[in-house]
Amino acid sequence: MTNHQTSRRRFLAGAGAAGTAALLSGCVTSTSSGKSSSEGSVTLQSNLSAPQAKAAMQDVVAAYAKKGSGKASLNTVAAETFRTQLPTYLTSANPPDVYTWYPGSVADAYAKKDLLLDLGEVWSSPDLKGYSKALNSLCTSAAGKKVFVPTTYYWWGMFYRKSNFAKWGVSEPKSWDDFLDLCDKLKSKGIDPIGLGAGGNTAWVASAWFDYLDIRINGADYHRELLAGKHRFDDPEVRKVFDRWQELLPYFDPNGTAVAFQDATTSLLSGRSGMMLIGTFFADAAPKDALDDIDFFRFPVIDPKVPLAEEAPTDGYFASARTGRHDQVVDLMRYLATAEAQEIYIKGSSGTVLPCNPDAKDAGTALVKKGRAHIEQAAEITQFFNRDSSDALQPTADNALTKFIAKPKQIGSILTDWQRDAAKIWNA
Amino acid sequence: MPDTAVLTAPDREAPAPPPPRGRRNRGPRRTPPLVLAFVLVPLLAEALWVFWPALQGFYLALTSWDGVSAPTFVGLDNFREMAHDDVFLDATGHTVLWLLLFGGLSAVLGLAAALVLQQERRGVGFYRAALFLPVVFSLVATALVWQAIYQPDGVLNQLLESVGLGNLRHAWLADQDTALYAVMVPALWRQIGYVMVLYVAGLKGIDPALYEAAKVDGAGAWQRLRHVTLPQLRSVNAVVLSVIVIDSLRSFDVVWSLTRGGPYHSSELLSTYMYSTAFQSLRLGYGSALAVVIFVLAFGVICSYLVRAFREAD
Repeated sequence: MTNHQTSRRRFLAGAGAAGTAALLSGCVTSTSSGKSSSEGSVTLQSNLSAPQAKAAMQDVVAAYAKKGSGKASLNTVAAETFRTQLPTYLTSANPPDVYTWYPGSVADAYAKKDLLLDLGEVWSSPDLKGYSKALNSLCTSAAGKKVFVPTTYYWWGMFYRKSNFAKWGVSEPKSWDDFLDLCDKLKSKGIDPIGLGAGGNTAWVASAWFDYLDIRINGADYHRELLAGKHRFDDPEVRKVFDRWQELLPYFDPNGTAVAFQDATTSLLSGRSGMMLIGTFFADAAPKDALDDIDFFRFPVIDPKVPLAEEAPTDGYFASARTGRHDQVVDLMRYLATAEAQEIYIKGSSGTVLPCNPDAKDAGTALVKKGRAHIEQAAEITQFFNRDSSDALQPTADNALTKFIAKPKQIGSILTDWQRDAAKIWNA
Repeated sequence: MPDTAVLTAPDREAPAPPPPRGRRNRGPRRTPPLVLAFVLVPLLAEALWVFWPALQGFYLALTSWDGVSAPTFVGLDNFREMAHDDVFLDATGHTVLWLLLFGGLSAVLGLAAALVLQQERRGVGFYRAALFLPVVFSLVATALVWQAIYQPDGVLNQLLESVGLGNLRHAWLADQDTALYAVMVPALWRQIGYVMVLYVAGLKGIDPALYEAAKVDGAGAWQRLRHVTLPQLRSVNAVVLSVIVIDSLRSFDVVWSLTRGGPYHSSELLSTYMYSTAFQSLRLGYGSALAVVIFVLAFGVICSYLVRAFREAD
């Protein structure tokens, strides 16, 4: 009995001690204020979770490891989770080192809070010296520090299937009136002229319509100022955007706000809808054999006096200011900026993006050549709603725009509510 | 000396503790350190990971915070804003509706399922297992399946079409009139099996002699249900109600996976509004204030219920 008690007591004491030790170690981990370890590979947190894009990222990381100067471990996180977790990653005591993300106002918001690593050293490398002036300023924070390394960019346009347009006997429109005619023709054939894909978890796709109508009607400068809080969403200029959009609403897929863009893409490829305003990223989820059949045209000009602007979001990387692997991060970033790394990514993905490095070759397809020319002809480049404003403002747009599509007559109160919701974000 | 000793001894023993105290005295007076550790260590863990963050949440409710910069103290501004926030008022209304509909239906349907499936017949195990199966699936996976069912070309619309009710076709999750109810169905689908199991256990505990006696007294099926089954299930009802209230107020995953509170806040619950305000709009101060409201609501409902339950028990 005594023996039994002793052994039980011993066991309990041991368990208690183990528990305490575990607790203490937990405390230590949870309160560690140090930087991430300076050993081991650089952690690269990626939001590129579409199968082709993810595989391409794995190729890039493998090629970097082969070079021998360092190693990176890729951690792919679903895009939506990544977006909501990003502030937590960057403010945590032991953050991942390098992140896929966006330059411009989105990166600058974090740079202002001293969360981003100064990448001046990376920008002094020969590869980045050749980058365009526009890219230079896009990657520079308001305080004048380089905080971002851009690697690829892509364009938005009205995408369609060449074989379907040929089958229906229609062609690319040149003007706004042509565009309305095209919609009429498609509708008369029983096809939904315009696919949307703002349902499910991709309500943000509707913002592309707002962006394009605004940059065509009020111009890119007004658009950027509006998104920065210098104008109001209930201004008459914004109202004009919705008046024009109302003309088009009858041509939209009635399920536009019920299905996600991936499903809308399927409808486009199978010929149930005629065309879609979308970025080239949709091709990462499209079957490879359909890629050669995809084409696009420029979002029609509405007012020829307004300088031509296009949405061409740039992607790339920034790093945490709290990284403990400064030198390794700089080495990896330099590699990501090389023509070699960007070509590996383009080869592995759907190949519809354009490299930022002027020496890197794009996929060379007719679609990509047309895309490059499309952007080069633009007088102004915008990024996208959330990239020109902030991720926090995006839900206000999602709400206002899906409501407008469902209840266009309530536009007055929708814009008042939008302004009120946006003001809360701007004033926060 | 011996005399005095004899006299004094009882005197000293007179105030001696009565048996229960004596027993206590024989045992260790102080709690052994090990036992103390077993109480204090979990308490410390709980304090560190539950109480402290909860208290911080209360403090954050009084601040304006973007999650990155330092929070600034704004007093009761967040709560004042709530009074004029239409979305908050809508979300509160939806939460109450959810509590009544989801809670009420899962209790009624769970009890009905239990009554039907309580008797040991051939194949009853299969039906019980089938009804309980949704409880096993993760709600996010459940939501994905239901998303496919509700799609514009999904099973539900195809079914309606095939039985000649094509005019009822709907974008169920994208229509503000149907979204909340469409989201409630998968939540109910999952909850009913769980409630059923609780009730089946309760029904098994009822003495069959009571039914025999009721039968002898000439009670019909309905009377037996009303006067024997339901009163006997009182203790199970307490468990079911607590489970339902707690599950209703913490309903989040199924709504978030299916509609994210949309379209335009029509299926917004307080829990989804709190999440989107805090982690999407990055207004963590206001989000914390919403969390405080949810806490007060949950605490209020559960406390008032427990007080009533205890009073009845007395």
